[in-house]
Amino acid sequence: MGSLTGVLPLPGLGSKVAQKTKVDYQNTTEGALVQRAQAGDESAFREIVDRYQNKVFSIIHGIVRQRNDVEDIAQQVFAKVYLSLKSFDFRSSLITWIYKITVNECFDYLRKRKVRKLVYESDMSEDEVRRVENSEPVVDRQAPMDDTLARRDYVVKLLTRVSEEERMLLMMKEVDGFSVEELAQKTGMNENTIKVKLFRARQKLVKAAQRLDRAPGLVTG
Amino acid sequence: MHAVVMESLEEYLSGTLKPAAHRDIEAHLSICEPCRQELAGMQEISQLFGAVKTQESIEPAPGFYARVMQEVGGRQAVPAFASFFNLDLAFARRLVFASLLMLAALGSYLVSREAEYPTGPSPDVVMAQQESTLDAAPAHEAMLATMTTYEP
Repeated sequence: MGSLTGVLPLPGLGSKVAQKTKVDYQNTTEGALVQRAQAGDESAFREIVDRYQNKVFSIIHGIVRQRNDVEDIAQQVFAKVYLSLKSFDFRSSLITWIYKITVNECFDYLRKRKVRKLVYESDMSEDEVRRVENSEPVVDRQAPMDDTLARRDYVVKLLTRVSEEERMLLMMKEVDGFSVEELAQKTGMNENTIKVKLFRARQKLVKAAQRLDRAPGLVTG
Repeated sequence: MHAVVMESLEEYLSGTLKPAAHRDIEAHLSICEPCRQELAGMQEISQLFGAVKTQESIEPAPGFYARVMQEVGGRQAVPAFASFFNLDLAFARRLVFASLLMLAALGSYLVSREAEYPTGPSPDVVMAQQESTLDAAPAHEAMLATMTTYEP
Protein backbone atom coordinates (compact mmCIF):
# COMPACT_ATOMS: atom_id res chain seq x y z
CA MET A 1 0.00 0.00 0.00
CA GLY A 2 2.91 2.33 0.57
CA SER A 3 4.22 1.76 -2.95
CA LEU A 4 1.72 4.12 -4.48
CA THR A 5 3.13 7.03 -2.56
CA GLY A 6 6.45 6.47 -4.23
CA VAL A 7 4.79 6.92 -7.62
CA LEU A 8 2.65 9.89 -6.71
CA PRO A 9 4.41 13.19 -6.18
CA LEU A 10 3.82 14.01 -2.51
CA PRO A 11 3.84 17.78 -2.75
CA GLY A 12 1.06 17.48 -5.31
CA LEU A 13 -1.14 18.14 -2.34
CA GLY A 14 -3.05 21.25 -1.71
CA SER A 15 -3.90 22.46 -5.15
CA LYS A 16 -7.11 23.60 -3.52
CA VAL A 17 -5.38 24.95 -0.43
CA ALA A 18 -4.84 28.65 -0.33
CA GLN A 19 -1.32 29.59 0.75
CA LYS A 20 -1.34 31.70 3.87
CA THR A 21 1.01 34.57 4.41
CA LYS A 22 3.76 33.77 6.87
CA VAL A 23 3.22 34.98 10.42
CA ASP A 24 5.76 37.46 11.70
CA TYR A 25 6.13 36.10 15.23
CA GLN A 26 8.55 38.82 16.23
CA ASN A 27 5.97 41.57 15.80
CA THR A 28 3.24 40.15 17.98
CA THR A 29 2.50 40.75 21.67
CA GLU A 30 4.02 37.36 22.40
CA GLY A 31 7.07 38.33 20.33
CA ALA A 32 7.49 41.48 22.40
CA LEU A 33 7.26 39.42 25.60
CA VAL A 34 9.94 37.03 24.34
CA GLN A 35 12.21 39.90 23.36
CA ARG A 36 11.91 41.36 26.84
CA ALA A 37 12.78 37.99 28.37
CA GLN A 38 15.70 37.62 25.95
CA ALA A 39 16.98 40.99 27.14
CA GLY A 40 17.05 39.61 30.70
CA ASP A 41 13.72 40.89 32.02
CA GLU A 42 12.83 38.36 34.75
CA SER A 43 9.21 39.54 34.95
CA ALA A 44 8.77 38.74 31.25
CA PHE A 45 10.06 35.23 31.79
CA ARG A 46 7.73 34.84 34.76
CA GLU A 47 4.84 35.86 32.52
CA ILE A 48 5.88 33.19 30.01
CA VAL A 49 5.89 30.57 32.77
CA ASP A 50 2.50 31.72 34.06
CA ARG A 51 1.05 31.73 30.57
CA TYR A 52 2.18 28.25 29.52
CA GLN A 53 2.66 26.23 32.72
CA ASN A 54 -0.81 24.65 32.58
CA LYS A 55 -0.30 23.60 28.99
CA VAL A 56 3.12 22.11 29.79
CA PHE A 57 1.74 20.23 32.79
CA SER A 58 -1.09 18.86 30.69
CA ILE A 59 1.26 17.62 27.91
CA ILE A 60 3.58 15.97 30.44
CA HIS A 61 0.77 14.28 32.33
CA GLY A 62 -0.67 12.96 29.07
CA ILE A 63 2.59 11.30 28.09
CA VAL A 64 4.15 10.31 31.39
CA ARG A 65 1.10 9.72 33.65
CA GLN A 66 3.38 9.76 36.69
CA ARG A 67 1.71 12.51 38.70
CA ASN A 68 4.67 12.76 41.06
CA ASP A 69 7.12 13.38 38.26
CA VAL A 70 5.07 15.91 36.28
CA GLU A 71 6.33 18.93 38.20
CA ASP A 72 9.97 17.76 38.07
CA ILE A 73 9.78 17.44 34.30
CA ALA A 74 7.99 20.80 34.01
CA GLN A 75 10.82 22.41 36.00
CA GLN A 76 13.35 20.92 33.59
CA VAL A 77 11.32 22.21 30.65
CA PHE A 78 11.15 25.80 31.89
CA ALA A 79 14.79 25.76 32.96
CA LYS A 80 15.68 24.75 29.40
CA VAL A 81 13.38 27.43 28.03
CA TYR A 82 15.10 30.04 30.23
CA LEU A 83 18.63 28.94 29.32
CA SER A 84 18.02 28.68 25.57
CA LEU A 85 15.56 31.54 25.13
CA LYS A 86 18.31 33.66 23.58
CA SER A 87 18.59 31.16 20.72
CA PHE A 88 14.85 31.31 19.99
CA ASP A 89 14.71 32.79 16.49
CA PHE A 90 10.96 33.41 15.99
CA ARG A 91 10.69 30.86 13.20
CA SER A 92 7.67 29.42 15.00
CA SER A 93 5.38 30.58 17.77
CA LEU A 94 6.73 30.38 21.31
CA ILE A 95 4.21 27.71 22.33
CA THR A 96 5.33 25.48 19.43
CA TRP A 97 8.91 25.80 20.63
CA ILE A 98 7.95 25.10 24.25
CA TYR A 99 5.73 22.23 23.10
CA LYS A 100 8.69 20.63 21.31
CA ILE A 101 10.96 21.00 24.35
CA THR A 102 8.24 19.51 26.56
CA VAL A 103 7.61 16.46 24.37
CA ASN A 104 11.37 15.84 24.04
CA GLU A 105 11.83 16.12 27.79
CA CYS A 106 9.04 13.59 28.36
CA PHE A 107 10.55 11.06 25.99
CA ASP A 108 13.97 11.64 27.53
CA TYR A 109 12.45 10.97 30.96
CA LEU A 110 10.78 7.76 29.74
CA ARG A 111 14.04 6.58 28.15
CA LYS A 112 15.99 7.24 31.36
CA ARG A 113 13.32 5.51 33.43
CA LYS A 114 13.53 2.47 31.17
CA VAL A 115 17.32 2.35 31.54
CA ARG A 116 17.04 2.71 35.34
CA LYS A 117 14.50 -0.12 35.41
CA LEU A 118 16.77 -2.38 33.35
CA VAL A 119 19.75 -1.67 35.60
CA TYR A 120 17.65 -2.27 38.69
CA GLU A 121 16.25 -5.53 37.34
CA SER A 122 19.65 -6.79 36.22
CA ASP A 123 20.69 -7.02 39.88
CA MET A 124 17.67 -9.14 40.76
CA SER A 125 16.97 -12.80 40.23
CA GLU A 126 14.18 -13.84 37.87
CA ASP A 127 11.90 -14.68 40.81
CA GLU A 128 12.48 -11.27 42.36
CA VAL A 129 11.75 -9.51 39.07
CA ARG A 130 8.53 -11.49 38.67
CA ARG A 131 7.46 -10.67 42.22
CA VAL A 132 8.08 -6.94 41.71
CA GLU A 133 6.30 -6.94 38.35
CA ASN A 134 3.28 -8.66 39.86
CA SER A 135 3.09 -6.37 42.85
CA GLU A 136 3.76 -2.98 41.27
CA PRO A 137 2.45 -1.65 37.97
CA VAL A 138 5.33 -0.36 35.88
CA VAL A 139 3.60 2.68 34.44
CA ASP A 140 1.89 4.34 37.33
CA ARG A 141 1.92 3.14 40.91
CA GLN A 142 -1.10 5.23 41.79
CA ALA A 143 -3.45 4.26 38.98
CA PRO A 144 -4.52 0.77 37.93
CA MET A 145 -2.95 -0.56 34.74
CA ASP A 146 -6.14 -0.32 32.71
CA ASP A 147 -6.85 -0.35 29.01
CA THR A 148 -6.26 3.38 28.62
CA LEU A 149 -2.79 3.09 30.11
CA ALA A 150 -2.00 0.13 27.87
CA ARG A 151 -3.06 2.17 24.85
CA ARG A 152 -1.06 5.16 26.10
CA ASP A 153 2.04 2.97 26.46
CA TYR A 154 1.49 1.63 22.97
CA VAL A 155 1.17 5.11 21.44
CA VAL A 156 4.28 6.30 23.30
CA LYS A 157 6.17 3.27 22.00
CA LEU A 158 5.06 4.05 18.45
CA LEU A 159 6.02 7.71 18.83
CA THR A 160 9.61 6.74 19.62
CA ARG A 161 9.86 5.54 15.99
CA VAL A 162 9.31 8.97 14.44
CA SER A 163 11.41 12.12 14.45
CA GLU A 164 11.10 14.85 17.11
CA GLU A 165 9.33 17.14 14.67
CA GLU A 166 6.90 14.45 13.51
CA ARG A 167 6.20 13.56 17.14
CA MET A 168 5.39 17.16 17.97
CA LEU A 169 3.13 17.59 14.94
CA LEU A 170 1.27 14.37 15.67
CA MET A 171 0.76 15.36 19.30
CA MET A 172 -0.47 18.83 18.38
CA LYS A 173 -2.82 17.42 15.77
CA GLU A 174 -4.12 14.35 17.58
CA VAL A 175 -3.97 15.33 21.24
CA ASP A 176 -4.59 19.08 21.10
CA GLY A 177 -6.83 18.87 18.07
CA PHE A 178 -5.21 21.68 16.09
CA SER A 179 -6.26 21.85 12.47
CA VAL A 180 -3.73 21.86 9.64
CA GLU A 181 -4.32 25.59 9.25
CA GLU A 182 -3.65 26.23 12.95
CA LEU A 183 -0.55 24.05 12.84
CA ALA A 184 0.72 26.09 9.90
CA GLN A 185 0.18 29.29 11.87
CA LYS A 186 1.94 27.95 14.95
CA THR A 187 4.89 26.28 13.27
CA GLY A 188 5.58 28.75 10.49
CA MET A 189 5.39 25.98 7.87
CA ASN A 190 2.90 26.05 5.03
CA GLU A 191 -0.15 23.81 5.05
CA ASN A 192 1.10 21.50 2.33
CA THR A 193 4.32 20.88 4.21
CA ILE A 194 2.35 20.10 7.36
CA LYS A 195 0.14 17.65 5.44
CA VAL A 196 3.10 15.87 3.87
CA LYS A 197 4.97 15.66 7.19
CA LEU A 198 1.91 14.30 8.98
CA PHE A 199 1.25 11.81 6.20
CA ARG A 200 4.81 10.48 6.36
CA ALA A 201 4.66 10.34 10.16
CA ARG A 202 1.42 8.36 10.01
CA GLN A 203 2.95 5.94 7.51
CA LYS A 204 5.86 5.39 9.91
CA LEU A 205 3.45 4.74 12.78
CA VAL A 206 1.55 2.14 10.75
CA LYS A 207 4.82 0.41 9.81
CA ALA A 208 6.05 0.56 13.41
CA ALA A 209 2.77 -0.99 14.58
CA GLN A 210 3.20 -3.79 12.07
CA ARG A 211 6.78 -4.32 13.23
CA LEU A 212 5.69 -4.46 16.84
CA ASP A 213 3.68 -7.47 15.70
CA ARG A 214 0.63 -6.06 17.33
CA ALA A 215 -2.21 -4.93 15.12
CA PRO A 216 -3.69 -1.65 16.34
CA GLY A 217 -7.09 -3.33 16.38
CA LEU A 218 -5.96 -5.46 19.28
CA VAL A 219 -5.35 -2.44 21.43
CA THR A 220 -8.38 -0.37 20.62
CA GLY A 221 -11.58 -1.20 22.31
CA MET B 1 -2.10 6.36 -1.20
CA HIS B 2 -3.83 8.26 -3.97
CA ALA B 3 -3.92 12.07 -4.01
CA VAL B 4 -7.70 12.25 -3.59
CA VAL B 5 -7.36 10.67 -0.13
CA MET B 6 -4.04 12.27 0.79
CA GLU B 7 -5.28 15.79 0.15
CA SER B 8 -8.05 15.49 2.70
CA LEU B 9 -6.48 12.88 4.99
CA GLU B 10 -6.16 15.08 8.07
CA GLU B 11 -9.70 16.41 7.85
CA TYR B 12 -11.00 12.89 7.18
CA LEU B 13 -9.23 11.50 10.25
CA SER B 14 -10.45 14.30 12.50
CA GLY B 15 -13.98 14.10 11.12
CA THR B 16 -14.03 17.68 9.93
CA LEU B 17 -14.27 16.98 6.22
CA LYS B 18 -16.96 18.71 4.19
CA PRO B 19 -19.71 16.35 2.93
CA ALA B 20 -18.80 16.71 -0.77
CA ALA B 21 -15.11 15.87 -0.16
CA HIS B 22 -16.17 13.04 2.15
CA ARG B 23 -18.30 11.54 -0.61
CA ASP B 24 -15.36 11.78 -3.05
CA ILE B 25 -13.11 9.89 -0.68
CA GLU B 26 -15.70 7.22 0.08
CA ALA B 27 -16.27 6.72 -3.64
CA HIS B 28 -12.54 6.25 -4.17
CA LEU B 29 -12.17 3.92 -1.19
CA SER B 30 -14.94 1.70 -2.54
CA ILE B 31 -12.81 0.90 -5.57
CA CYS B 32 -9.26 1.17 -4.16
CA GLU B 33 -8.25 -1.61 -1.78
CA PRO B 34 -4.67 -0.32 -1.05
CA CYS B 35 -6.00 3.12 -0.04
CA ARG B 36 -8.72 1.50 2.09
CA GLN B 37 -6.18 -0.66 3.94
CA GLU B 38 -3.69 2.14 4.53
CA LEU B 39 -6.37 4.51 5.71
CA ALA B 40 -7.79 1.89 8.08
CA GLY B 41 -4.36 1.46 9.70
CA MET B 42 -3.97 5.22 10.11
CA GLN B 43 -7.50 5.56 11.51
CA GLU B 44 -6.90 2.91 14.15
CA ILE B 45 -3.69 4.54 15.33
CA SER B 46 -5.33 7.97 15.27
CA GLN B 47 -8.02 6.69 17.64
CA LEU B 48 -5.36 5.39 20.04
CA PHE B 49 -4.14 8.94 20.65
CA GLY B 50 -7.22 9.49 22.79
CA ALA B 51 -5.32 7.65 25.54
CA VAL B 52 -2.69 10.42 25.62
CA LYS B 53 -5.26 13.14 26.29
CA THR B 54 -5.53 14.14 29.92
CA GLN B 55 -8.95 14.09 31.50
CA GLU B 56 -7.90 15.83 34.70
CA SER B 57 -6.01 19.09 34.88
CA ILE B 58 -2.92 19.28 37.03
CA GLU B 59 -2.09 22.69 38.39
CA PRO B 60 1.42 23.59 39.49
CA ALA B 61 1.91 23.66 43.24
CA PRO B 62 2.56 27.09 44.82
CA GLY B 63 6.17 28.18 44.45
CA PHE B 64 6.62 26.49 41.07
CA TYR B 65 8.30 29.53 39.52
CA ALA B 66 10.77 29.75 42.42
CA ARG B 67 11.66 26.09 41.92
CA VAL B 68 12.18 26.67 38.20
CA MET B 69 14.59 29.51 38.97
CA GLN B 70 16.35 27.28 41.51
CA GLU B 71 16.78 24.67 38.76
CA VAL B 72 18.14 27.37 36.45
CA GLY B 73 20.60 28.46 39.16
CA GLY B 74 21.72 24.86 39.64
CA ARG B 75 22.37 24.42 35.96
CA GLN B 76 24.26 27.69 35.67
CA ALA B 77 26.46 26.75 38.65
CA VAL B 78 27.85 23.67 36.90
CA PRO B 79 31.63 24.21 36.64
CA ALA B 80 33.06 24.86 33.21
CA PHE B 81 35.16 21.69 33.16
CA ALA B 82 32.01 19.57 33.57
CA SER B 83 30.71 20.88 30.27
CA PHE B 84 33.69 19.18 28.63
CA PHE B 85 32.00 15.85 29.32
CA ASN B 86 28.85 16.99 27.58
CA LEU B 87 30.55 16.70 24.22
CA ASP B 88 28.33 15.80 21.37
CA LEU B 89 28.93 12.41 19.83
CA ALA B 90 30.45 13.61 16.56
CA PHE B 91 32.99 15.81 18.34
CA ALA B 92 33.83 13.01 20.80
CA ARG B 93 34.49 10.65 17.88
CA ARG B 94 36.79 13.19 16.24
CA LEU B 95 38.62 13.69 19.54
CA VAL B 96 39.17 9.94 20.00
CA PHE B 97 40.35 9.58 16.40
CA ALA B 98 42.80 12.47 16.76
CA SER B 99 44.15 11.00 20.01
CA LEU B 100 44.69 7.60 18.40
CA LEU B 101 46.41 9.22 15.43
CA MET B 102 48.72 11.14 17.77
CA LEU B 103 49.55 7.98 19.74
CA ALA B 104 50.36 6.11 16.52
CA ALA B 105 52.63 8.94 15.33
CA LEU B 106 54.40 9.09 18.70
CA GLY B 107 54.83 5.29 18.74
CA SER B 108 56.35 5.14 15.27
CA TYR B 109 58.71 8.02 16.15
CA LEU B 110 59.96 6.18 19.26
CA VAL B 111 60.46 2.92 17.32
CA SER B 112 62.49 4.71 14.65
CA ARG B 113 64.65 6.38 17.33
CA GLU B 114 65.34 3.00 18.93
CA ALA B 115 66.57 1.58 15.60
CA GLU B 116 68.99 4.47 15.09
CA TYR B 117 70.42 4.56 18.60
CA PRO B 118 70.58 1.14 20.32
CA THR B 119 69.67 1.72 23.91
CA GLY B 120 71.57 -1.23 25.44
CA PRO B 121 75.35 -1.15 26.17
CA SER B 122 77.74 -2.68 23.62
CA PRO B 123 79.02 -6.30 24.14
CA ASP B 124 82.49 -5.00 25.10
CA VAL B 125 81.03 -2.86 27.84
CA VAL B 126 78.99 -5.81 29.13
CA MET B 127 82.06 -8.07 29.30
CA ALA B 128 84.07 -5.39 31.06
CA GLN B 129 81.27 -4.97 33.57
CA GLN B 130 81.10 -8.75 34.21
CA GLU B 131 84.87 -8.92 34.74
CA SER B 132 84.81 -6.09 37.18
CA THR B 133 81.95 -7.83 39.01
CA LEU B 134 84.02 -11.01 39.36
CA ASP B 135 86.95 -9.00 40.69
CA ALA B 136 84.71 -7.37 43.16
CA ALA B 137 83.43 -10.70 44.43
CA PRO B 138 86.36 -12.79 45.70
CA ALA B 139 84.13 -14.73 48.06
CA HIS B 140 82.12 -15.98 45.13
CA GLU B 141 85.31 -17.06 43.33
CA ALA B 142 86.62 -18.80 46.48
CA MET B 143 83.39 -20.70 46.73
CA LEU B 144 83.73 -21.93 43.13
CA ALA B 145 87.35 -22.98 43.77
CA THR B 146 86.32 -24.90 46.87
CA MET B 147 83.60 -26.69 44.98
CA THR B 148 85.91 -27.72 42.09
CA THR B 149 88.60 -29.07 44.46
CA TYR B 150 86.14 -30.82 46.73
CA GLU B 151 86.80 -34.54 47.20
CA PRO B 152 84.44 -36.54 49.31
